[in-house]
Amino acid sequence: MPESSVPSLLEVRNLTRRFPGVVALDDVNFDVVRGEVHALVGENGAGKSTLINILAGVLQPSEGRILIDGVPLVFSDPLGSQRCGISVIFQEFSLLPHLSVAENVFVTREPRRGPLIDWETMNRNTAEILHTLNLDIEPSTLVSKLSISQQQLVEISRALSTKARVIIMDEPTAALNEREVVRLLEIVRSLASSGVAVIYVSHRLAEVFSVADRVTVFRDGRHISTSPRNAVTEQQVVAAMVGRNLAHLERPVRTPGEVILEAREVTVDAGAVRNVSFSLRRGEVLGLAGLMGSGCSELMEGLFGLRKITSGTVTLDGEPLQANHPRAAIRAGIGFVPEDRKTNGLFSDLAVTENLTIGALPRWLKSVPAFLDPARERQVTLVYKRQLNIRFSRPEQRVSGLSGGNQQKIILGRALAENCRVLLLEEPTRGVDVGAKAEIYTLIDGLVAKGIAILLQTSELPELIRLADRCIVFVAGEARAELSGNEVTQEAVMEVATGLSHRVAIRDQALEVANGE
Amino acid sequence: MESRGGRLTWFRPSPVAVTLLVVGAVFTLLTPTFLTLYNLLNVCTSASVVAIVGLGMTLTIASGNFDLSVGSTAAFAGCITMSVVPQIGVMPAIALGIATGALVGWVNGLIVTELRVPAFIATLGMLTIVRGAALIYTRGRDIYLFGKTDYKILSSGVMPALLALAIALFFGFLLKHTRFGRHILATGSNLASARRVGVRTTYVLWSVFAIVGATAALSGLILSAQVLTGNGRLATGLELSAIAVVVLGGTPLTGGQASIPGTLFGSLLVAVINNGLNLLNVSVFYQNVTLGLLLLGALSLTTGWTSKLGDVTDRGARVLAPRKCK
Repeated sequence: MPESSVPSLLEVRNLTRRFPGVVALDDVNFDVVRGEVHALVGENGAGKSTLINILAGVLQPSEGRILIDGVPLVFSDPLGSQRCGISVIFQEFSLLPHLSVAENVFVTREPRRGPLIDWETMNRNTAEILHTLNLDIEPSTLVSKLSISQQQLVEISRALSTKARVIIMDEPTAALNEREVVRLLEIVRSLASSGVAVIYVSHRLAEVFSVADRVTVFRDGRHISTSPRNAVTEQQVVAAMVGRNLAHLERPVRTPGEVILEAREVTVDAGAVRNVSFSLRRGEVLGLAGLMGSGCSELMEGLFGLRKITSGTVTLDGEPLQANHPRAAIRAGIGFVPEDRKTNGLFSDLAVTENLTIGALPRWLKSVPAFLDPARERQVTLVYKRQLNIRFSRPEQRVSGLSGGNQQKIILGRALAENCRVLLLEEPTRGVDVGAKAEIYTLIDGLVAKGIAILLQTSELPELIRLADRCIVFVAGEARAELSGNEVTQEAVMEVATGLSHRVAIRDQALEVANGE
Repeated sequence: MESRGGRLTWFRPSPVAVTLLVVGAVFTLLTPTFLTLYNLLNVCTSASVVAIVGLGMTLTIASGNFDLSVGSTAAFAGCITMSVVPQIGVMPAIALGIATGALVGWVNGLIVTELRVPAFIATLGMLTIVRGAALIYTRGRDIYLFGKTDYKILSSGVMPALLALAIALFFGFLLKHTRFGRHILATGSNLASARRVGVRTTYVLWSVFAIVGATAALSGLILSAQVLTGNGRLATGLELSAIAVVVLGGTPLTGGQASIPGTLFGSLLVAVINNGLNLLNVSVFYQNVTLGLLLLGALSLTTGWTSKLGDVTDRGARVLAPRKCK
C-alpha cells in the first residue's frame, strides 16, 4: 500500500476480473503516485496484461474500483480512460505506418482550422513534443521510415500530446538494442521527474531495477508484493515472481572437445560481414555480440544458407560446408533457433507435433519417403515434451495458444529433432518469462554438456555472460574483439561494441585462435 | 468441442453441411421436383464441376495463394482437347488437356516464385492472357465434336461426381499423410519459417499451382464434354465460384489450413441453391441476388461459428483470459 504522505494519482482497490473458468485478477491493490516510476513484474498469466487492459478501458473489472486523485471512475471504453489522463503504450504499437509522425501523434485529435486540418499547428506542436524527447526527426516523416525505437518514441509523443498523467508501458524494451534501452530508460526517468506517473511493465529485471522507484510483483492473478526498489534484491523479486528460488545464475565449468565448426575469412553478402574467422568446439558456447546491424545475425544466416557467403571457407567436422539453402545446412547438422519466432519459426496454424517434427521429416526416410509416420511423430513429440519440459495438453493442439516459453522450447526441440551438431541460437529467451528463461538456460547447459556446439547471438548482456564461454564482439560487420572466460563482462563487451575501445586488437587474435588450436 | 483425438479439419460440426441440409429441406418443401433422382444427379454434376477445381483451389489457398486464372485455364484446356480428339483419340486428348492446365499452372507458379509477383496479380494477368490464348486458338469460333460421343463419358451419369470424390480422397490423403501435404500447409502457414526448416518452398508452390491448373483443366473438359463443344468463352467466372466454395467450406483465405470435405459441401451448397431457385422459376436476375445473399449469410455464419469453436479448442481454460485481453 502507498505511503500515506503522498496521495495516489491512480489507485486500484480490490480489483477482480473473472473470465469463464479463470480468475485473471484476484482482489488486487495497486497504486502509483505523481512523479513515480512503478514497475509491475510477473510471469505470463500473472495478470499484468489484464490490469493494463482494465486501466486502458479495454476490459471492465468484475469487481473493485479505480480511483484517480481519490475519485472513483468507470472507464467504459478506451476513450474514457484517455480522457482521464491514462495513456497506454502497448507492446505492439498502434501506429499507422503510412502516415507522418505528426499525423500519428495527433490522430483523431488533429488541430483544425474550420473543417480542415491545420497542418502548420500540428507539425509545430509535434516538433515541440519531439524536442522534449530529444528526438531529432521531422514531424512530416513517415512512420514506416523510422526505426523501432523511434517509433516507440512517437508512441510516447502521442501519450504526451494527450497530456497524459499516467503512462503505462508494456514491455517497452522488447525490440530495442542495448543503446536504445539506455536512452529509453533516461526518457522514462525524465517523464517521471516532470510529474508524470509511469507504470513500467517488463520482464527484464535489470531495467526494472535501474529505472523504478517501486516494484510490484504479480503472480497467478494475485498481488504478491510491493516494495521500494532499494528494499529488495533481484533474486527476491524473481523468487516472488515464480514462487520458488531459481538456481541458474552461474555458468557451469565446461570442457570443450575438438573443433567442429571453423570459419576462415568469411564474408557474407559481399560485406554485411567481412573477413571473419573463428572456430567453435564441441561442448562450447561461442557468443556473438554487437549492436543491431553489426553483422552477428548476418553471419549466422550466412552459415545457415539464408544469405550468401561470398568469400572465405567454412568447414564442419573438417568437411567444407556449402549451404545455399537451409535444407543443406540442416542436412549437414546445423540447427537454427531464430530471433523472431513468430515470423521466422512458428507455424501458428499447425499443431505442436507438426511444428516439432517438420524439420526432421526429410531424415526419416522410410521405404516410401513421401509418407508421414504418425506413430513416430507422436513418439518424438513426447520425447521432447519430457526432455525440454514443454507444457501442452495434446500433441494436436495448435501452437498459437502456447506461452512464449513453450513456443521457444518447441523451436529448440525442432532443431534437436533434426539431430543437429551445431546449434545457432538467436535471442533464445526473447519474449520468454523469467521461469522459462532459467529453464532454457539449464537446457542449453545440458545440450552443451552432451557435446553440442552452440553459436549464440543475444542482445542481453547478462544472458551472454551467463551462457557464453567465449565471445566475439562485432562492429560494423567486422570482428573487433574476442573475449574469453572472465574477460566476458558487460563493460568489456559494450566498450568494444560501441566503438569506445580497440583495446583488444582482434582480427589477429581471432586468426591466432583459428590457426593455433 | 473437438471430436476426441480426431483432427479438426476432418471432423468438425461443419456449418456448411448444416446449411446444406437446411437449404435442401426448404427446397424439398417448396418444390416437388427437387428431391428426385434425376434432379439430384443434375445437382451433383454441376456441383462436381466446381468441386474439382475447388479442390485444387483448396490446396492453393492452403499454401497461402490464389489462382484467379482457373476459368480461363478450363476454357483453354477444353478447346485444346476438343480440337485434338479426332486426331489422337479420346484418352490421349484428355491427358493432353490436363497437361495443358498443369503447364499453365506451373507458369503461374514461376511468375509467383521467380518474378516475385503476388499470386493475386500474377494469376489475374494470366486470367486475361489465357482467355485470350483460348480465343486466338479457336479464332473465336466454337469447335464442335460430331460423332465422337465416347468423349461424353467425362460428363455422363455419375462420372463427374466420382471424379470429384476420387480427387477429394486423394487430396485429403495428400494433406494428412504425406510430407508434401505437410509442406503445403507449412508454406501457407509461414513461408519464411517453411524455408528455414528446409522446405523447398519454390517446388511446393510450383506443384500446387500445377495441381490447381490440372484440376481447372479437368473441370473445363467436363464442361466441354457436356455440350460436346469447345468454346473460348467457356467457364467465365469459374474462379470466383471456385474460391467461394473453398471459403464456404471453412478453409480460411489466410493459408495454412484446409478442409477438403468442406469444399465438397460448399460446392454442393452452391449447386443446390442455384438448382432450387431454377426449379422455383426465380428470374435469373433475382437468382444472382439471392445467391449472393445466401453466400454472404452462410459465410458470416461460418466465420462466426468457426471463430467461436476456435475459442474453445485453441485455448485451454488457463490461457483463455490473458489471450483474450491481449
